[in-house]
Amino acid sequence: MTTDLSTAGMSEAMRLAMLRADPALSRFDPLPRIISFDDFSRGHCGWSQLVGNYEGDLDTMLPGYAQHTSAMLSTLGHWDAGSHGGMGSSYALKIATRARPGAQNVAIKRHTFRKRGPIRFELYFTFKPEATELKLSETDVRSIGLLFDLQGGDRDGDGERVMPHLRFLNAADGKHLQKWQYKRETTTFKAIGSEDKTLSHYHLAPDGWIDLPDGGQRLCYNEIPTKVNWSYLRFDFDLETMQATGLQCNDRTFDLSGFDSIRIPAMKNLWCMLNFALFAETDVAKRAFLYVDSVCISGDF
Amino acid sequence: MLPENITAIVARNEYWTGEAASEPYEAGWAREAVFFLRALKQPAGKAPKAWVEISPDGMHWVREGTEFEMPSAKDQVAVARLTTFGNWLRITTRFDAGADCTVLITLHLKA
Repeated sequence: MTTDLSTAGMSEAMRLAMLRADPALSRFDPLPRIISFDDFSRGHCGWSQLVGNYEGDLDTMLPGYAQHTSAMLSTLGHWDAGSHGGMGSSYALKIATRARPGAQNVAIKRHTFRKRGPIRFELYFTFKPEATELKLSETDVRSIGLLFDLQGGDRDGDGERVMPHLRFLNAADGKHLQKWQYKRETTTFKAIGSEDKTLSHYHLAPDGWIDLPDGGQRLCYNEIPTKVNWSYLRFDFDLETMQATGLQCNDRTFDLSGFDSIRIPAMKNLWCMLNFALFAETDVAKRAFLYVDSVCISGDF
Repeated sequence: MLPENITAIVARNEYWTGEAASEPYEAGWAREAVFFLRALKQPAGKAPKAWVEISPDGMHWVREGTEFEMPSAKDQVAVARLTTFGNWLRITTRFDAGADCTVLITLHLKA
């Protein structure tokens, strides 16, 4: 073992020592700059409802977006065992679908970036269906997942909007599938309204998901619908190359060499966009809940 | 520290007819809550009473006691103010046959 006594080495050692001594951040592995750290004991921390585009009339909103509602702060209160609570506070962010097969809900955090380089998205999460039945219900939640919505700077010249999508497909049609998937395609863009200013597409449409190689993973799903366990998830992305660079969930890391994002022409208003979204989807006529204990978003800039 | 507050959209452009209810919303951290319900289109038929419901679990609902008239005209806004509600909140109503309302329901919570 060698000891790096350079200024950079000392600086990194100091940074790691401070991170690991911080009870809130110690369970994360952030890149050098923390863009945001959300533990939901201080409000929603900017996780808002993904609202669809419209013009003139809300009826012009695509149905995929029209179903979305606002995320909430929850103590994971259960009818039989009371509040479960978060890892370090009473609260977690709760993203709840409606009680209709295929219903989805999305929470989004909207930023822009100041440098195209590596970013890291880490969270602790869990999911469950609404506990309307006294049985395990392990195949009721269809999926939970994340997506980024990214576009380069106005002078970068690469002209693309890039939307990496990842989901954990828990179940479909009663089958417990438990695997990670990504997608490369969105739906056709549709003009919204009559002024030729607004377009919309539903990138979370159920079609087009592709299995990650060796992407099966059996997560901890505790033995009744009201017992939950928090899981760790990390997704790394390079804004310079617009490529995914890493995925880890609990003890498993996944090969992203075949991964690609939804790529569409750059839009005229979205330069330097850095959006993060989390979603839940139910497979049955029962609400699905994605709970997020905490999120740490970091970058190297 | 300023006290937390949030505006949540619990129903947007939802067409309500017959038995109708907003999605459950957890608000246990808040000391006060105000619902606003706006008619986005001209309602049809007789405007019914609506009422606030609370719940021990988000699944079983009881009337909290606050009632209000549903809007009878486009852009009319109804209000319900609440201070003791536990955690889960929703609004429900029941329309006569042929009556309807397209609603925007916002929930304003303050710690």
